[in-house]
Amino acid sequence: MTPRAGDDGRNIDPRLGSLEGEGAQQRTGGEEPGNLQPYATWSNPAGSPPRQGDPTYYDRPVLKEPVWIWAVPAYFYAGGVAGASAILAAAAGRLGGDDTEDLVVRARWIAAVSGGAGSVLLIHDLGRPRRFLHMLRVFRPTSPMSVGSWILATATPLFGGAALLSRARGAPGRLGRILGTAGAALGLPLTTYTAVLLSNTAVPVWQETRRSLPLLFAASAAGGSAALLEMTSLNDKERDIVRRFGMAAGVAEIVAGGWVEREANRIERVGRPLQEGVGGGLWTASKSLTIASVVLTALSGRQRWARGPAALAGTGASLATRFALFHAGKGSARDPRATFHLQRQTSAAPMDRSSPTI
Amino acid sequence: MAKGFFTDTTVCIGCKACEVACKEWNQLPDDGLIFTGMSYDNTVQLGASTWRHVAFIEQPAATKEDPALGDFSWLMMSDVCKHCQRAGCLEACPTGAIVRTEFDSVYVQPDICNGCGYCISACPFGVIDRREDDGRAWKCTLCYDRLKDGMTPACAKACPTDSIVFGDLDELKEKAGDRVQQLRDGGVEEAYLYGVDEVGQPGTEGLNAFFLLVDEPEVYNLPPDPVVPTKKVGSAWTSAALAAAGVALAAAGAAVMNRGGRG
Repeated sequence: MTPRAGDDGRNIDPRLGSLEGEGAQQRTGGEEPGNLQPYATWSNPAGSPPRQGDPTYYDRPVLKEPVWIWAVPAYFYAGGVAGASAILAAAAGRLGGDDTEDLVVRARWIAAVSGGAGSVLLIHDLGRPRRFLHMLRVFRPTSPMSVGSWILATATPLFGGAALLSRARGAPGRLGRILGTAGAALGLPLTTYTAVLLSNTAVPVWQETRRSLPLLFAASAAGGSAALLEMTSLNDKERDIVRRFGMAAGVAEIVAGGWVEREANRIERVGRPLQEGVGGGLWTASKSLTIASVVLTALSGRQRWARGPAALAGTGASLATRFALFHAGKGSARDPRATFHLQRQTSAAPMDRSSPTI
Repeated sequence: MAKGFFTDTTVCIGCKACEVACKEWNQLPDDGLIFTGMSYDNTVQLGASTWRHVAFIEQPAATKEDPALGDFSWLMMSDVCKHCQRAGCLEACPTGAIVRTEFDSVYVQPDICNGCGYCISACPFGVIDRREDDGRAWKCTLCYDRLKDGMTPACAKACPTDSIVFGDLDELKEKAGDRVQQLRDGGVEEAYLYGVDEVGQPGTEGLNAFFLLVDEPEVYNLPPDPVVPTKKVGSAWTSAALAAAGVALAAAGAAVMNRGGRG
């Protein structure tokens, strides 16, 4: 069927003109033409004078809002849990002494399943999912996403192999331990690189929290992993290991969360999306759930009833942290003043217009 | 040979010929036909299908040339991808889809891009964007196809006032310097160059598409001190290494304490 002129938003009659331009391959024809929604921030009456002293362009965003969907913060959770579980499995297997086999097996399986699920989530987020292998075309150290893709692509098979061999004896069992240790080594960057990935953007709240965010993500990964393991059936000794790991993670999460807030709040507009809107709500939820999970985990040593709630609170806290940062970043990108104030107040550049260049 | 644009906003008349020429030459689809109420600007922003955008800034101030017109004046600026010396999009691209060409421009290869969206958050100017019904990231190519044939990019070719000047970067910088001096000598002391070199804009190490402006950058929706994210991210990697070591220690500690305790 010949497309009619105007079908694709180009108004080119295919009988008269050929499509060879640089943008001619751009596909159209979704329900709505692309990128049309974000006009909500424009609320000034037409032609009103720009405000003196703190100008913006009709309050329009200066940055593009991150295009990522829910799958990306969900991956931050899954990838973090995978990394931390692999680390705990290796630690328990090598250092935990006898009677920790069930813990090692379950932690290895959690790592394998979350690593696999994380990979699926990342592919689902791509604009062209069938091109996911293009991630492995190059290795670009300046891109945390490239670094992370290689880590995930290497770690996930190791997690899977270690899980499959986790009940094996003899040589296969030894191979499983080697795979588990190698996986744990890659699990280390897997728990934290996602924070660097966020900080390596122009989004003010992500950029400004670049020192504290890796600590928060690492703690959140360990907390999420401990919470999932608490839901499994373990012996008392294994439960103690998981509980200590979870308690350390919870305390670190509280400390790191405070540091994130301090870093973000150095400039009022930068910290705002962690206090308002969806991001702010989720951030408050994540703080409350973290405190709840620490208290319940401490109780669960003596009180059996506290185990389930502690695990749920820990999982909720870990998820809420990632989604809070995700939504705060979107809000931060929509606010031009966050970018302007940040650059004005922290700049080392000679922003003096009396000189002929800036 | 490094090529680029010098956009002199003082002679822009807001005709949008650049926008039209860009759309037509590159055969870009429309991205919605809307009325915004933002002066004459119904294009709103640069995007996946909009590679030139003319901004209209209405100001309650008399012009120097003709004060009798009353307290009203316009600033106009044709915005475009800056083809930064240190390009955030290029450094963030995990697939190698974004490359630097022989003309020193930054080019997205549509057959490689898998639409991961990382370049979009890495651009400090909010230039590159993903078209949702296409799935890939797009931006100005500096008319790569035309440059290969020795032609001028479509926008500069169509500009009737030479507000958009295309050429060798060295010559453009010289021309721009002369123009600023001319304006300042003529009484327009607020004229300055935005992003012309590394001294003025260390964060990007200079823009291959730079601008002559007469008001604060924010007025034109330009960031006052854009910095390629990679320049700041070192401390994040350090923190990440320390945090990862913390997880390992916590795991090891939890396991070892147990052996000492009840094991």
